[in-house]
Amino acid sequence: MKGSLIIFYVFLITILILRLHTFYSNQKTYTKGQEISFETQILSFPKTYTFYQTVYVNLDKTTKVLIRTDLDRQLNYGDYVKVSGTLDTILLSSGGTIFTLNNPEIEANFRENNPFLSSVYFIRQKIIDNFNSSLDPVSSSLLLGIVFGIKENMPKDFLDKIQITGVMHVVAASGMNVTMVSGFLFYLLGSLLKRQFAIALSIFGVIFYTALAGFEPSIIRAAIMGILVFSAQVLGRQQYSLNTLLITGAFMLFLWPQFVTDTGFALSFTATAGILFIPLFFQKVKNSFTEVFITTTSAQIATLPILIGAFGSFSLLSILVNALVLWTIPVLMILGAVAAFFGFIFKPAAVLFLYLSLPFLYFFEQTVYLFSELGVVVTFDNVPWQFSAGYYLLLISIILFLNKKNEKVFNS
Amino acid sequence: MKKYLILSILSLLILTGLFFYQNAKINDGKLHLVVCDVGQGDAIYLKTPSGKDILVDGGPNDSVLNCLTNNMPFWDRTIDLIVLTHPDADHITGLVSVLERYNVLHFVTSKTTKTTAIYKKFLNALEKEGLELKYVFAKDRIDFGDGTVSNIIWPDSSLFNSKQIRESGVNEYSVIQLISYGNFQALLTGDAGSLVMDEIAKDAGDIDILKIPHHGSKTGMSDYFLTEIKPEAAVISVGAKNRYGHPTQFSLDLLSKHNVKTLRTDKNGEIEIVTTGPDYEVYSN
Repeated sequence: MKGSLIIFYVFLITILILRLHTFYSNQKTYTKGQEISFETQILSFPKTYTFYQTVYVNLDKTTKVLIRTDLDRQLNYGDYVKVSGTLDTILLSSGGTIFTLNNPEIEANFRENNPFLSSVYFIRQKIIDNFNSSLDPVSSSLLLGIVFGIKENMPKDFLDKIQITGVMHVVAASGMNVTMVSGFLFYLLGSLLKRQFAIALSIFGVIFYTALAGFEPSIIRAAIMGILVFSAQVLGRQQYSLNTLLITGAFMLFLWPQFVTDTGFALSFTATAGILFIPLFFQKVKNSFTEVFITTTSAQIATLPILIGAFGSFSLLSILVNALVLWTIPVLMILGAVAAFFGFIFKPAAVLFLYLSLPFLYFFEQTVYLFSELGVVVTFDNVPWQFSAGYYLLLISIILFLNKKNEKVFNS
Repeated sequence: MKKYLILSILSLLILTGLFFYQNAKINDGKLHLVVCDVGQGDAIYLKTPSGKDILVDGGPNDSVLNCLTNNMPFWDRTIDLIVLTHPDADHITGLVSVLERYNVLHFVTSKTTKTTAIYKKFLNALEKEGLELKYVFAKDRIDFGDGTVSNIIWPDSSLFNSKQIRESGVNEYSVIQLISYGNFQALLTGDAGSLVMDEIAKDAGDIDILKIPHHGSKTGMSDYFLTEIKPEAAVISVGAKNRYGHPTQFSLDLLSKHNVKTLRTDKNGEIEIVTTGPDYEVYSN
């Protein structure tokens, strides 16, 4: 059994390497001053300034470009556009460079034709408008972030504070959102239906949620990982989940080879691994109040070197802030989801549920404000790969060691 | 499920407390005039004694939303009146977000226009809200029915041809309002310059609070103007380290010469004036 598994993985890795090699050796390269023309879908929120607007779009699978254009044409999330212009580059404050297009020609600003997707975008926009018309900007954007991972409308200073205090994962569409949506649906449906039906419907719910959250690769990724965690939790077969996780990861890299250099993918993958394996050692203290905290801490432990590498900083207070605010997440997700639902059929009920969420949102916001002022942030200019490698080796060793110990306890 | 029910009841109790607290704090039967800290631009929020919400300009960004959040109770999402003094970006930009997020009942402005993209965006937002451009001129009077009155003292209707709408030099056509409640009088000046200020000085008369014209620019006001209106206190709405050098030393010297107590949003943050009619108090962060 073990031998065949090793052969299988060698085979899998070989195929993956071949796939990545062909993908990257066939990539176009772009240079400053190059005339380009391409069609794309806008999958990020355009930002409006006094005299212009900017939006990030995909030039191709691996290259993003920042478009800067006047306000005459309203660009919307989900629009398909044909863009032609001359590539330029700008230096980011972080040191990297990105491609830009200043006032390119933008043609055929047509909306999504797929009726399913266009109705999903309509629903999404309507939910955003409903939340915005009843709550203040910070509370509304926080709730949208927590429930749907929509954080484009969040005031920048608050977003910075969220990042400083280490609770960014709460407002990003992540495996955690997906696990919660599926877990909640399963809990709700489980009492009414047969287990298999409840699982199937929960997974359908996750697909709808993924569409609502925007069908971005990062969210699809989160959904796949989330469904994986959810299934493992429901089926209680953690011992199979390592293989499932590795195969899923390989499968996703085969489909989207560009993920191999994507920090988001690395975060999703390691966070999922963390959520699957680390909580096993906290079974004794696990209850409905500590569950969210255990899950998040597990994800943070598993992603720490990548987070530091990507953002260059780590908030020492983040564990404390997380411990203080995470209990509000499940209740806010429920209140927000119910409010979003009522927004379509009976507005006053939607407003009531949005108001009910306010005390929790205020508590969350004030905690973030308070700790962002204290700001014990450790910054790193450069993370040596040896640190990351050592960290993961140590982490895996601890997990394997504790796992063996657990097995002994169970066997004796 | 029981846990969520308990949390919801707890939330309802906190909300009720918050309702009574905000209601008592905000609906106190006084006139509140808040000069919002929006950076280099103007946004002034007024709450009348009977609870009507008025917004004069929206500033250069979305900061005005924070100002409204801080000064309006959480359940109040209606603004009774927006006054746009003139359509420059540092007065209009924030209004787009206000129109998107609040229910706005009335809108008035000066008979001026702009061809800028942000102005087009603003017109779209106005149309979406179902509001029309309504122009006000000197001698118009907006009575809020609770003792608060906005007397429009500029621009004079004779300055406009019947069909033409002003496109250039819009600063000089800013809507200037004299807000009065009991004996209290505040002059809101937009971005008009000193020639206009000298012209209206007699109409304005002796006032309590002056919103300094054009962020304290050199051309905003004259010695004669301050001699005529005798303000007790003045507020400058200005961004820290702005590229125009506002407020100018000339304006600050002039104010100090006339012993006018001056507050600035770049130094004092949001500035609030609360009046009962005869008396007023000034608060800042």
